[in-house]
Amino acid sequence: MSPQTFDRETWLDLTVNIVPLGIMAFFFAAFIVVQPWGFDSVLSAVQFSLIGVPLVLLAIVTYYTGRAIFNAEHAE
Amino acid sequence: MAGEQLALTVLMGLLLVLVAAVLTRLEDWRSYTPLAGGAGAAGEVGHAHEEKPGGITRWLTTVDHKDIGMLYGTYAIIAFAVGGIMAFLIRLQLISPDGAIIGNQFYNAILTSHGITMLFLFGTPIIAAFANYFVPLLIGADDMAFPRINAIAFWLLPPGALLIWGGFFTAPLGIGIDAAQTSWTMYTPLSVEQANPGVDLMLLGLHLTGVSATMGAINFIATIFTERGDDVTWANLDIFSWTILTQSALILFAFPLLGSAIVMLLLDRNLATTFYAVEGGGSMLWQHLFWFFGHPEVYILVLPPMGIVSLVIPKFSGRKLFGFKFIVYSTLAIGVLSFGVWAHHMFTTGMDPRLRASFMAVSIAIAIPSAVKTFNWITTMWNGRLRLTTPMLFCIGFVSNFIIGGVTGVFLASVPIDQILHDTYYVVGHFHYIVMGAIGFAAFAGLYYWFPIFTGKMYQRTLAKWHFWLSMIGTNLTFFAMLALGYLGMPRRYATYAFDGAIAPLAQITLYHQLASVGAVILLVGQLIFVWNFVNSWLEGPATASADPWNLKETDQFTKEFDWYERKLETAIADGGDDDDTLVADGGESVDE
Ligand code: HEM
Ligand SMILES: [Cu+2]
Repeated sequence: MSPQTFDRETWLDLTVNIVPLGIMAFFFAAFIVVQPWGFDSVLSAVQFSLIGVPLVLLAIVTYYTGRAIFNAEHAE
Repeated sequence: MAGEQLALTVLMGLLLVLVAAVLTRLEDWRSYTPLAGGAGAAGEVGHAHEEKPGGITRWLTTVDHKDIGMLYGTYAIIAFAVGGIMAFLIRLQLISPDGAIIGNQFYNAILTSHGITMLFLFGTPIIAAFANYFVPLLIGADDMAFPRINAIAFWLLPPGALLIWGGFFTAPLGIGIDAAQTSWTMYTPLSVEQANPGVDLMLLGLHLTGVSATMGAINFIATIFTERGDDVTWANLDIFSWTILTQSALILFAFPLLGSAIVMLLLDRNLATTFYAVEGGGSMLWQHLFWFFGHPEVYILVLPPMGIVSLVIPKFSGRKLFGFKFIVYSTLAIGVLSFGVWAHHMFTTGMDPRLRASFMAVSIAIAIPSAVKTFNWITTMWNGRLRLTTPMLFCIGFVSNFIIGGVTGVFLASVPIDQILHDTYYVVGHFHYIVMGAIGFAAFAGLYYWFPIFTGKMYQRTLAKWHFWLSMIGTNLTFFAMLALGYLGMPRRYATYAFDGAIAPLAQITLYHQLASVGAVILLVGQLIFVWNFVNSWLEGPATASADPWNLKETDQFTKEFDWYERKLETAIADGGDDDDTLVADGGESVDE
């Protein structure tokens, strides 16, 4: 997903989803730094996938919709 | 042990993804659609409607998306009335701490039934009503992709309702089948242990409505992907169809899961399996499965109403929707994230604090896309030329109520706050601001906005305004009082509250309960006016002469569904009667200027 994939306009539209992605990334990082309940291989794995999976899925869906709309606009 | 389970789950997941991938390779799924591709160009494709039969046969056999939309609408409004009467009885009961009118058992029964009726028999169907009628018109399709599946999906609903309400009919017979008292969340072990077969009936009924919703969702996805007119692209697809598309995707992932969970519950109840028994999955299993469905379900219910509001507000603000694409992307964000927040309903179950923290994080992230929409609606109205017609009033009411409902939701999503407020009336206040104050209001906005199209008449404006103001005041009185009750510590789901005044301020709690009940009376009066206005205007109102009742041409917002209506009015002059819309639906639909 290089910056050239979309034009400036589209990037601006996409910010709306980049904010929640950012919030999740923040918590992901924060939970790596601060672990008040310690580390447990299973539970911590679940903990991070609970944030990581939605993060990745949302990034993917946003990317593909962005593409579909961008292409539709530029096909005209 | 837990590690093995986890590995197994991940493996199963990978397997499913693999199966899906193989399936997409095997068949070009587009080849299944009867109207592959060029529906727009060649008007007379094989399955277009023939002349409709008259009278009741027409309604029993119809596969026309507009007729099916009307059936869904009628069904939903009847369910709304039933659920509303139940709500009113609940509010009457709680006027006095000892319970004013009914016994505990019956209270539990109507509380359960109220929730299920409003969510599954009113909420989903009223949305399906709008979607069936208007999505094909808005995207320039001849009909839904699978008209017959569309009809089946609707006809599963009436038996579903009969089963869900079944216990109420059989209780007076004294044959031991009573109305279910599980609450809408059907938590185990309570729902396993209640021997009453009425619970089984309700579960079967729920299953039917779930199958119906899933069939409908598949149909909408196929329709929006493959039946769009030539001039409708992803870039100019209207906002309502976008929300229906996202909602359908959510239904596709959420409802089958509810169905499976219900089947397991039925097996536990009747065949002594141990899915939810302590020695099996435990009662937390039910909660996880239920809320993995349940949270997406709330967005299933709210996304299309958001679409209606996004569609209607610009029409009466005299300008385009501000940040159309913001709304599209944020709709998708809500769709994806709604599957990652389910355990915020389970913060007090004693689950591992690490998991709880993650659910809190995603719940906070999902608040952003909801807030973005709110800003877009407000910005659309800002300095616009507002026309306060009834649909617009309901949209503004939606925004206002949605803000309160949304903000209280964000508070609940924070673990420490939720531990205090969980299972109090605060939660009830939160979600009613959204399900009644927002979803209900958007349904009214849609009904009034498109009233001329589906009835050919105009409603009585003054009565409609009365309906709005009574609904707005009633909603805010009732549900604000509930927020206050929650802060005072009043737990939800109790038929009486005659507790010791030393625990909580009983006099104040009684007062707020009474205020909530006054609000319910105001709401009831409002809805009676609505029903009268709706039926009376439909049957006896003068026919609308204009195809542009909202002066949309003036601001260049005359959209496809009104286009269709205009053509219908023009062709109707030559020929009256039932089949006039067939005339238009067949030939006139293909717009290639
Ligand atoms: C947008 C439409 C929304 C709808 C239709 C909705 C609906 C509901 C419903 C029906 C419940 C109660 C479930 C039960 O019976 O226990 C509920 C609870 C809850 N909602 Fe919402 N909600 C919405 C938005 C939000 C938002 C935006 C948030 C926060 C980000 C949120 C957070 C919560 C939480 C944390 C609870 C659980 C409270 C508890 O039981 O302690 N909701 N919501
Ligand atoms: Cu939720």
